[in-house]
Amino acid sequence: MSTEPALMTLTAVAKAIANKQLSSHEVTRACLHRIAQWQPHLNAFMEIESEAALKAAEEADAALAKGEVRGALHGVPLAHKDMYYDAGKVVTCGSLIRRDFVAQTTSTALQRLNDAGSIRLGSLQMAEFAYGPTGHNAHYGAVRNPWSFPHITGGSSSGSGSAVAARLTFAALGSDTGGSIRMPAHFCGVTGLKVTYGRVSRAGAMPLSQSLDTVGPLAQTAEDCALLLQLMAGPDPEDLTASSAPVPDYMAATAASIKGLKIGVPTRFYVDDLDPEVARILDETIAVLKREGADIVKVELPDQRQLVSASQLVLAVEAAAFHKRWLIERPQDYGPQVLMRLQNGLAIPGVTYLEALRWRGAALAAHVAATASVDAVITPAAPVPAPTIAESDIGNAPGAEAVIQRLTRFTRPVNYLGLPSLAIPAGFTTTGLPVGMQLIGRSFDEATLLTIGAAFQRATDFHAKVPAIP
Amino acid sequence: MSRPSPKQIVAMADVAGVPINTEIAERVSNSIGPAFEGFAAIAGTLPFDLEPASYLLMQTAKVVK
Repeated sequence: MSTEPALMTLTAVAKAIANKQLSSHEVTRACLHRIAQWQPHLNAFMEIESEAALKAAEEADAALAKGEVRGALHGVPLAHKDMYYDAGKVVTCGSLIRRDFVAQTTSTALQRLNDAGSIRLGSLQMAEFAYGPTGHNAHYGAVRNPWSFPHITGGSSSGSGSAVAARLTFAALGSDTGGSIRMPAHFCGVTGLKVTYGRVSRAGAMPLSQSLDTVGPLAQTAEDCALLLQLMAGPDPEDLTASSAPVPDYMAATAASIKGLKIGVPTRFYVDDLDPEVARILDETIAVLKREGADIVKVELPDQRQLVSASQLVLAVEAAAFHKRWLIERPQDYGPQVLMRLQNGLAIPGVTYLEALRWRGAALAAHVAATASVDAVITPAAPVPAPTIAESDIGNAPGAEAVIQRLTRFTRPVNYLGLPSLAIPAGFTTTGLPVGMQLIGRSFDEATLLTIGAAFQRATDFHAKVPAIP
Repeated sequence: MSRPSPKQIVAMADVAGVPINTEIAERVSNSIGPAFEGFAAIAGTLPFDLEPASYLLMQTAKVVK
């Protein structure tokens, strides 16, 4: 059986179904065939719902035959991180504690994709309660990187990164509180969009830190991310932090040129202590962007270590507060590392937490002033390519937090400032591991990042590489 | 601002209603300590009338190139 439809981009397959070049049933079968091949190696899915998906695909095809089109994703099969509430479905949040939790509502982001006609393939693995950047899960096992099984996927959206990279789903929702979309995008070689805080409703998405949580997609291309953002962005009466800022035409943005755009390269922090291969790929990425017409300039950013620290203080307290009841009643049901990190929040005084929140506006103002002359900033998504599962599976051992902080030090400042960031596949190490770069933009200016990302992907083919079936 | 000691953490966790032992408190101190140190230059220096909501104002402010 050909699995070729499963290799298409989200945008291309959605068009092919709408134009009746492919049926939803054919596409869904191709994805399920690939899932059956890869799942034993990857552990990317939490639940595979083959029968229901095929039935929904048949219904989508029947509707299309009658001229009824639900929306831009009519008949497109998708799977998402298992933390998006879907009424009537078990949503584990990657945890033992919520192993049998049945959602009573559907998250706004998911509902908007459903309303556009998407079909559910199942749910995707994740770090327990989205609190871990590696992809390990003490209860359900590590998710594997399709480019190299011994290496980590990154997390917390581990299943989303792995499944999109292996082309088991055309795209997947992830969430990003400290890098949880960009880490797996970087380590698995896919495109991931961390949106501006407030750009997409968080209603019905499992909370980790109400000040930092964002909902966003992982997909093959910037264009695919644009399509999903277009459908999800905008205000929501169920989430008053969802902004009513105008939603621009993101798809149009992906067709624009980057000629004349100014992209800043930080002079420190993001270029310090880089793995030599990451440094090489950063230089190569800059060269491509320059060739495509962007103006590359140096930028002096404020002290990023302070932003990292502030984000840690905010996240630790808010996560501990969400989990307090279970910390009292069911501490034995957490994995050791997640329990340790939740307990961190108990050690931070209220005054310190509030200082970290009070500083946020001033810190953003300083960043805006430092980057006023550029349209975006480019940095590696992480200082290193994927470490192995063995070397990073350290539970609550002394030094665990230091390992976590090293992996996420380039992503956390963006969450603290609430800025948008697009992670794009930018190259491979000599051993074949993907490396991603992140483009950091201005608040609510995802469009410029998508313009740059799409231009880079027109000039390169890193995003189109597919790992070989084992 | 210095990192809280394990003894202080035991007391704080107790007050928060989630008691932990000294061994866990030591681990927590090592784990979260660097965040306190990294934020030390900011702590205690913020203007009196700076509110967390200033972030939302800054987020929607127009950027002048």
